[in-house]
Amino acid sequence: MLHAIRPKRNIIILYLLIPTALFLFTVFVPLVTALGYSVFEWKGGPVKTFTGLTNYVTLLHDETFWLAFQHNIYLVVACIIGQIGIAFILVMMVGSKFVRLKGIHRTFGFFPSTISAVCIGLIWSIIYHNQYGIINWFFKAIGKPELCRVWLNETDLVMLLVSIPLIWQYIGYYMVIILSAISSINEELYESAEIDGASGVQKACYITLPLIKNIIMVCITLCIAGNMKAFDSIFVMTKGGPGKASMVMAMYGYQISLNQNNMGYGSCISVGIFVLSLLVIAGSQAFIKFLTHEKEI
Amino acid sequence: MKRNKTMHSLGRGLLSFFMNAALILFSLTCIFPIIWMGYSSLKEKRAFNADIIGLPKKPSLVNYSRILSNPDYHLSESMLNSVRTTALSIVFIIVFSFVVGYILARVSFRLNRVLYAMFLLGMLIPVHSLLVPIYVVFRNCGISNQWFTLIFPYVSFGLPMGIFLMEGYVKGIPVSLEEAAAIDGSSFSYTMWYIIMPICKPILVTIGIIQVFACWNEFSFALVLIKDVTLQTVPLALTQFRGQFASDYPKQMAAMLITMSPIVILYFAFSKQIIKGMITGAVKE
Repeated sequence: MLHAIRPKRNIIILYLLIPTALFLFTVFVPLVTALGYSVFEWKGGPVKTFTGLTNYVTLLHDETFWLAFQHNIYLVVACIIGQIGIAFILVMMVGSKFVRLKGIHRTFGFFPSTISAVCIGLIWSIIYHNQYGIINWFFKAIGKPELCRVWLNETDLVMLLVSIPLIWQYIGYYMVIILSAISSINEELYESAEIDGASGVQKACYITLPLIKNIIMVCITLCIAGNMKAFDSIFVMTKGGPGKASMVMAMYGYQISLNQNNMGYGSCISVGIFVLSLLVIAGSQAFIKFLTHEKEI
Repeated sequence: MKRNKTMHSLGRGLLSFFMNAALILFSLTCIFPIIWMGYSSLKEKRAFNADIIGLPKKPSLVNYSRILSNPDYHLSESMLNSVRTTALSIVFIIVFSFVVGYILARVSFRLNRVLYAMFLLGMLIPVHSLLVPIYVVFRNCGISNQWFTLIFPYVSFGLPMGIFLMEGYVKGIPVSLEEAAAIDGSSFSYTMWYIIMPICKPILVTIGIIQVFACWNEFSFALVLIKDVTLQTVPLALTQFRGQFASDYPKQMAAMLITMSPIVILYFAFSKQIIKGMITGAVKE
């Protein structure tokens, strides 16, 4: 073999060393240290007390943490239904031959997903604002000022309200993903279905949907991974409040570790987030595999 | 029979009207906030508070000039920080993804698959769970709150997808190309940088596009790792700004628009390529 194709070992090591070291340092070292610190009582100062699994026992009984976990799951479900559902309906419309300005819909629809979650959060907190927000302006304009409220202070509504910006931001993103999958479907399928008298809805359900099943699964996976890490827009809009009504896991970990300086328990929460997120992602993957496999038989 | 046909076409007309209307409404909601912010930022605070939705009667750029001229707001500084962090991260991500992806695709050595799996694992790891641990490790090593701090996480989190895309792309290039180069006396490094890299330009551009948006918009790690106002990136500056101008919305909007401007201009100038690039990354993942 030529040296040029099978290069010397040292060259390979030289090339791989920095990226690998960097990656290990920023991803794996923190993970291992978190695991280590999670068995200490440590308030950020020089004193660390070994407490064994006490932190983990506390975590298992920590109602706020599990509430936060539920909220993450809520976001995942809301976004799967909202984002992918609405995106699919919009895609069906864009695909129809009556619709004009397709390019514009793509460009504009995709646009919000390129804006930072912080901006989205700030924009929506203005929209929800009790005095200067668009929603209350709208209620006043239609002569129903009694419906006005301080939206983000409503404990019962706050999860719905924080999920709306998240859903809105990514509808166009999923719309474009699904559109690109559909564009690869053979036109003749639709033509022959039309000859057989299939309606638009029938074509959507019996031709398009089965053929883009895989891409829908990819979208769902992206949705789950994206919402398990929800933090930015919630930090901007509510900081987890009012009370704990919109607390999510990353927000809780942040508050315990950096606001209360409880590093030991914070590390324990980080490990908890890690394990739970992996479980949810892996579990949903297994479920999806199971479902798609089932249908093939 | 004829009546039936006109009914049919009437139904079609209605359907097409509703579909177009629904889609136009959707596109408008996507673009409306930025338009609303655009003209509202030209109002004085008092004019905005009196009428939040109307067009400005006396449009002026005074909000912009005040924000940019006052050094206490650190806005231009944070723009600079964001540009530097993003640019450096992109360069490192592209170079590292290329080198690692190429070597993992082409050179067989014992740890090849182990390394590949390790980097792929990086795509699975819930990055947000590293928020606190990275803070602790970086503080202990004395590299938190520096101008280069954020480059570490941004490069590391960008690498897995870059390597994954790169490896797949290189596998599609015929090996005969490198064999021919080797016969002509080209060294491994020369082949990699001067023959393979130009071929990989499309995928490198894709990786770059995805990461520009990711780095420019990243917030949580900046929040945890940067304490100094002179070092903060744009998203961080915006949250600070909100504290300072709690009720001065036109000013907040002006600040947001300034910080969004590079992304918005980039997006509308290259929307086709950007959408395509982002989708490639998402779907391959």
